[in-house]
Amino acid sequence: MDTLGYLGQGFGVATTPLNLITALSGTLIGTVVGLLPGLGPINGVALLIPIAFALGLPPETSLILLAAVYLGCEYGGRISSILLNIPGEASAVMTALDGHPLARQGKGGIALSISAAGSFFGGLIATIGVTIFAPLLATWAVAFGPAEYFVMMVFAIACLAGMAGNKPVKTGVAALIGLLLSCIGIDSNSGVYRFTFGGLGLSDGIQFVVLVLGLFSISEILVLLERTYYGQTALKTSGRMMFNMKEFMFIKWATLRSGVVGFFMGILPGAGATMASAVAYMSEKRIATRDNRFGDGDLRGLAAPETANSAAACGSMVPMLTLGVPGSGTTAVMLGALTLYNITPGPMLFQNQPDIVWGLIASLFIANIMLVVMNIPLIRVFTKILAVPYWALVPGIAIVTAIGVYGVHATTFDLFLMIVIGVVGYILRKFDFPLSAILLGFILGGIMEQNLRRALSISNGDLSILWSSPITWGGWALVALMVVLPIYRGWRQRRARVPLAP
Amino acid sequence: MLYQRLFLVALLVVYAVLAVATMGYQAAFSYEPVGPRAFPLLLLVLLAAGTVYLLFRPGHLAEENDETPLTPQVLVKLVLCVLALSLFAFFFERLGFIVSSFLFAIAMCRLYNGGWITSVITGLVMSLAFYVLFDRVLDVPLPLGVLSGLGS
Repeated sequence: MDTLGYLGQGFGVATTPLNLITALSGTLIGTVVGLLPGLGPINGVALLIPIAFALGLPPETSLILLAAVYLGCEYGGRISSILLNIPGEASAVMTALDGHPLARQGKGGIALSISAAGSFFGGLIATIGVTIFAPLLATWAVAFGPAEYFVMMVFAIACLAGMAGNKPVKTGVAALIGLLLSCIGIDSNSGVYRFTFGGLGLSDGIQFVVLVLGLFSISEILVLLERTYYGQTALKTSGRMMFNMKEFMFIKWATLRSGVVGFFMGILPGAGATMASAVAYMSEKRIATRDNRFGDGDLRGLAAPETANSAAACGSMVPMLTLGVPGSGTTAVMLGALTLYNITPGPMLFQNQPDIVWGLIASLFIANIMLVVMNIPLIRVFTKILAVPYWALVPGIAIVTAIGVYGVHATTFDLFLMIVIGVVGYILRKFDFPLSAILLGFILGGIMEQNLRRALSISNGDLSILWSSPITWGGWALVALMVVLPIYRGWRQRRARVPLAP
Repeated sequence: MLYQRLFLVALLVVYAVLAVATMGYQAAFSYEPVGPRAFPLLLLVLLAAGTVYLLFRPGHLAEENDETPLTPQVLVKLVLCVLALSLFAFFFERLGFIVSSFLFAIAMCRLYNGGWITSVITGLVMSLAFYVLFDRVLDVPLPLGVLSGLGS
């Protein structure tokens, strides 16, 4: 089979000394970034982009670095969830539900090792999935024209809102704000400056590193400011660190199922690791009939979300590599990094630059093994990092963020822009608008408008080109499904509530 | 609820201003049927529709946002934090990275309840360590500002 040959070639790329060292440092950085509150995969990855650029790393190496950090974050997020009951990042929220009770029962060590195993299998299942599905999707996506692409982007946005659970309209508005932000700056087709209001700083548009760091680092710093009053203490891990065979057999099926669920949730644009861990947790809770202790320390309830979020992290690489549509906030940032290297992700990437694609996929396998090996013995070191107080942590994050922003263009205008974006982001966050939707909208916006205009140029302004091929029909059907889904869900909830009312 | 509605109204005003601005965006000569105006205008219409919907049905805020209401103390801290960030940005090139980040780190440390002595030590260590790490080791150029006489 072709795939195996390419994969071998990928391993050739991923096992060069430079790429191995990069993957190792990426996984280390990722774990630390994941476990620290205030830094998640999105801003962790965004901070590394200027550095990777300044160091002159070749594109495949920097992509490997970013992917290793992403995967490492999914591993690291669980540590603070389990020991502090404070998720280090959003997708580890579900891990705290059963992980923290386990730690309180004195089984912290077991909880940490079994969740590491869960993350490993999740990553492994999903990477195998990527190896199988990505080339298939890529060969199919070559047939996409501008109209098909546009419909795909509309689907990505609709999916984001439709899968968002309880606040579809807010998610939709957030995504539209992101799309609108992408219009700022010079319009490459006509040379018209849009929304710059005469200023020079915006004429080039908003740099995506500035947007990401403003939205995620600065707003997070402001959120952490509210929490300085709340005390926190890490639970000590004592006793057995390693899980035993019986415990592993107990979670075996939950892990397998959650790995598959996580992978497919990861592929869906916008659903991402946070949704995947929630869905995996909920469905395992429903499936578990035998001694169901979900909520106060069930091992399955710990393994399921951890497996799913690692699987989703890998799965979200599929739409990024094959369609150029990011599957999650973090892959949106990686997509932005690729465009800095003048590489356009999409189906052609598999033909034109197989080294990048397959090197990345192979390095996912390698990073996953590194992480599980590193995480079990080094866990005591990582728990020490949790003891870093906010007053030392936050200034550090703020300064590194500023360096990251300044490093892109070396202008202080970007620093001010970052602060403004951060404050607006903080307000939006207070009102429950999901910030990752803004980011996805921003990344998709440019390509979306280009494809729409290109499609209408082909048809000479006739809108019917947008629904003239079977692929577009399928796309619009999916869009309709995503619009109906939250309406149906709301209707069902209301109906369930009526009989309860007196 | 009231604050949320006020915020949504403010958003609507922003859309209106942007929509007026969008009206002026026309290509001098056009090679394509869709100009630079259509896409942003479409977005603004959709945004306005969504925001008006939210104005009528804002929904309940998530628990985490309900649990931490903005007390005056927090609000003062938030304003101070934004002020510190802005001053940091303002002096970043004027005073150079080392001096401005030293002062900024002290301010942030104090905001997050660090003591005076620890703050000064943290500021000193961070400003020097980050300069060496990023400028010298990782090749991300940072301005030296007032210290440029010392650097080589």
